[in-house]
Amino acid sequence: MLYDIRLNLHYDYEAAVGGGRHLVRVLPANLGGGQRVVAASLSFSPAPGERADFQDFFGSNVTAIAFREVHRTLDVRMSARVSVTRPETGLDVSLGIAGLAREIATVRSLEPDSPHHFLAPTDFADLDPAITAYARESGDGSVAATAADICNRIRRDFTYDGTATDVQTRASDAFALKRGVCQDFSHVMISGLRGLGIPAGYVSGFLRTIPPAGQERLEGADAMHAWVRVWCGREAGWQEFDPTNGMRASNDHITVGYGRDYGDVAPIVGVLKTTGGQAGAQAVDVIPVA
Amino acid sequence: MHSLLEHYRPIDGVVDEMVDATGNPRPLWKPFIASLQALGPEKLAQRFARADQYLRDAGVYYRVYDKAGANERAWPLAHVPLLIDDNEWSEISAGLIQRADLFERIAADIYGPNRLVECGVLPPGLIAGSPEYLRPLAGTTPAGGYFLHFCAFELGRGPDGRWWVLGDRMQAPSGAGFALENRVATTRALSELYGELHVHRLAGFFRRFRDALNSSAAASRGRVAILTPGPLNETYYEHAYIARYLGIMLLEGEDLVVSKGRLMVRTVAGLVPISVLWRRLDAAFADPLELRTDSQIGTPGLVEVVRQGAVTTVNGLGSGLLETRALLAFLPRISQELCKEDLLLPSIATWWCGQEAERKHVLANLERTIVGPALSTRLAFEDDGASVLGASLSAEARADLAARIEAEGSAFVGQEAVTLSTTPVYVDGRLEPRPASLRVYLARTPAGWTVMPGGFARVGFSLDPTALAMQRGGQAADVWVVSDKPVERETLFPRDSEGFDRTVPGSLPSRAAENLMWLGRYIERAEDTARILRAYHVRLAETSDPAMPLLAELRAYLDPIGIDVTDPVPHGLLDMMDSAVYSAGQVRDRFSPDGWLALKDLSKTLHLFEKTVSRGDDATRAMTVILRKLAGFSGLLHENMYRFTGWRFLEIGRRLERGIQTARVLARLTRPDAPEGALDMMLEIGDSVMTHRRQYPVQAGRSTVVDLLVLDPLNPRSIFFQIERLKAEIGLLPGENGSGHLSPVAKDILKLNTALAVKEPSDMTAAALSTLADEIGGLYGSLAKAYFS
Repeated sequence: MLYDIRLNLHYDYEAAVGGGRHLVRVLPANLGGGQRVVAASLSFSPAPGERADFQDFFGSNVTAIAFREVHRTLDVRMSARVSVTRPETGLDVSLGIAGLAREIATVRSLEPDSPHHFLAPTDFADLDPAITAYARESGDGSVAATAADICNRIRRDFTYDGTATDVQTRASDAFALKRGVCQDFSHVMISGLRGLGIPAGYVSGFLRTIPPAGQERLEGADAMHAWVRVWCGREAGWQEFDPTNGMRASNDHITVGYGRDYGDVAPIVGVLKTTGGQAGAQAVDVIPVA
Repeated sequence: MHSLLEHYRPIDGVVDEMVDATGNPRPLWKPFIASLQALGPEKLAQRFARADQYLRDAGVYYRVYDKAGANERAWPLAHVPLLIDDNEWSEISAGLIQRADLFERIAADIYGPNRLVECGVLPPGLIAGSPEYLRPLAGTTPAGGYFLHFCAFELGRGPDGRWWVLGDRMQAPSGAGFALENRVATTRALSELYGELHVHRLAGFFRRFRDALNSSAAASRGRVAILTPGPLNETYYEHAYIARYLGIMLLEGEDLVVSKGRLMVRTVAGLVPISVLWRRLDAAFADPLELRTDSQIGTPGLVEVVRQGAVTTVNGLGSGLLETRALLAFLPRISQELCKEDLLLPSIATWWCGQEAERKHVLANLERTIVGPALSTRLAFEDDGASVLGASLSAEARADLAARIEAEGSAFVGQEAVTLSTTPVYVDGRLEPRPASLRVYLARTPAGWTVMPGGFARVGFSLDPTALAMQRGGQAADVWVVSDKPVERETLFPRDSEGFDRTVPGSLPSRAAENLMWLGRYIERAEDTARILRAYHVRLAETSDPAMPLLAELRAYLDPIGIDVTDPVPHGLLDMMDSAVYSAGQVRDRFSPDGWLALKDLSKTLHLFEKTVSRGDDATRAMTVILRKLAGFSGLLHENMYRFTGWRFLEIGRRLERGIQTARVLARLTRPDAPEGALDMMLEIGDSVMTHRRQYPVQAGRSTVVDLLVLDPLNPRSIFFQIERLKAEIGLLPGENGSGHLSPVAKDILKLNTALAVKEPSDMTAAALSTLADEIGGLYGSLAKAYFS
């Protein structure tokens, strides 16, 4: 699939902001065969005094911007044309959970794709016995089958509710509420998998806005989306699941970046020198071109 | 007289530093013991009291966190130093230098090619799972090529007589400044002994490190700074002390800003580049953009500057990972892999339970093993109970622990329960053995590592080794490395044969300038308030009639500014003094210990008065005491503080405040309808009764009072005098000379100055005085805009 993606992030500051420095992670990733970026642009208003682009540890495109002038609003505009061709899911060659620990130990690497980065609890995907117990109910089959089952159960057991949580909510809190948005569902799934010793990470990205004819519109398409990647063994590698929609990541899922949780791939981080509050809005369009 | 050693018994199976197994003093200690003995118990008690007095006078403290919150606690000096022979010290030094080099190579590998993981020597999970592994730094080489510049090691002597490394401090080791203060205090007490024994001096170590920092900074055209988490940190005293001792700027995160790829400090002279940052805060807090986003004490963008090699951090960001306890289990193999060497100094026996054989060993020897979190970066005896000795658990709890180790072994590390050697402490007139560990410091110089010949020993209050940690009531002893030959008497100063550069005092950070100005303002405000209160209470004592119009008039003036005179020492006044102490505490590195003590004394006295003093006479006397102490503090600042930018901001603060307060009181008390006696009282508040009597052969009238307190250029209490002083000092601030154009602040003060110079007493109506107070107050805004933002 070929998509045109447009993203608008808008921030209003209650009080004028003097200076400020941000990291922005919104550009789609170039992932070789599965996802190719044909063109992309990222602009800011007001224009930042400094700007630098780099790739972070997990390979996400990061734009660092800094403002010296006082401003009251900030607009981030991204547009990109991206082609996505995910491989068909074939036979499940993933390991059984029982053999996973031994297999992980044979991976002598700290490369960004190494499963070792994705085992320890993190700020947002904290370890919670209740979530681990929930995950354990998904049986002890293969890693991929377990992940798929947890993914479906979260879709079934949780209520999509944009008001129940915020960007700072941890997995354990969202789990107690059984409510939240894509970010929360992903954190719960990650926490559950790690509780079982399965390496799991966070994927930030976009979702096709209008579904193909005759299909339901997917949840989370009007904002940036998030889902989960799971390490299923050396052979099966990383596989991606979308617990918000209870499905495997498809050609409708466009990847921006990977991390251990939201904190590694937040669309914008930054210290804003302001005493007032700030309010944000985002608009996303993901339109198939061909 | 009984012998000091009469009751000194070494513990079975434990090495004692002072005596051998049969209880006989070791040769190294003999002259030392003889001298102590010769002094006798009374003299010794006096001497040790002298050391404690020194520490109190110098204001040495550390912060303790307990249920009551954060408290400053006096530094617990154990008066008897630990003596070590310098031949033995050479062996320790060689072992630690090898170890520091090894850790440097480990850091370079972990943040570089990861060969140790690839060849299976180092389990990747130990790195990837650690919060101290900073991914944003992966793949980077530090500026200058090194991660480690300043390291500390915790050592203990085992029952076999060998020194063992208990832990490695690589993140931001503390205590080097305390080691210096220990030395000063101990030599106060034992000056002759220190002179007789050939004890290696500490100053050379600091001089070499300071020079290394300075030359590294000069090479990249920047400055050196020490970065502190701030006055609430447990070792802030030491940060300020080291900064003062070495003449290095002391900064907090908000002083720093990243601009165009460089790290800059905001100073009153604009942004100044920093190229060497000696950080005393944990790396995770250093940059809220790329590290912990909840950090309030970091500098956004710092990591990027580090990645670009534009600043050297001491130590490199990410080196905290090297403190991981489980890493100790792998050091011997890593040393072989990276250096083809065996370790000269062994580490405490450590087993990571993520490996089968090691796990089995720990489970089989659980009683004698201390089990703790594998990724902990704290020492087992100071991690607030996160680590436990198997033997200390009930059978049930031990079985539970064993089950957890079995289930998730990689989360646990076991360490041999250490038996530390004992060293003497002086208790009630005699010496007693106490367990001790030793902290030693290494610093990198262009010529390689330099080892501090000394350090400090942590000594338990009891025989329980876990009581070593300062937070739990350990004490600290000086460490004397003793030679049989005379040692070089090094100081921090260059030798006579060396040249010296006269450097201009460093740029003043904006935050420091702001705090100094506020200190000046609060002190002055407190003084003015105390004068008014004294005037109030002296009259109250005379008339005992609070309804008297003049007293009512004063109450009407004081009430709106938060001073309630029904309290003899009003809260408003206490707040001013507390604020002054707070402002001074923010810039403690810029204060002499005398100045700080004088201020603390003022605050203590005032708080005491609040509880004890009653209205009228009593309060009058109390305010007189406070005013005298304030005069003492001002005198110290005036006579002893170096007249550069810092002093200037303090002076500006004082003059500003005095101008404002004087104008405000005058506006009230010189109104045509002011109560009887108001003018006399005004002279009293303005401290100008004598002058008035001499200058004007008449009774105080409105014009003579205004003439003297507003327009007289020679009266240091007059508003005009304040304006003249402000004009002079503002004219000397950075950026105020050379360009020819006047800055906005300079214009404001010149306008005020000119306008006031041509005024007559009759012009200065109450309304004009109020306006004048506001105009002087407005100067603060222009100054803040120019220098503090």
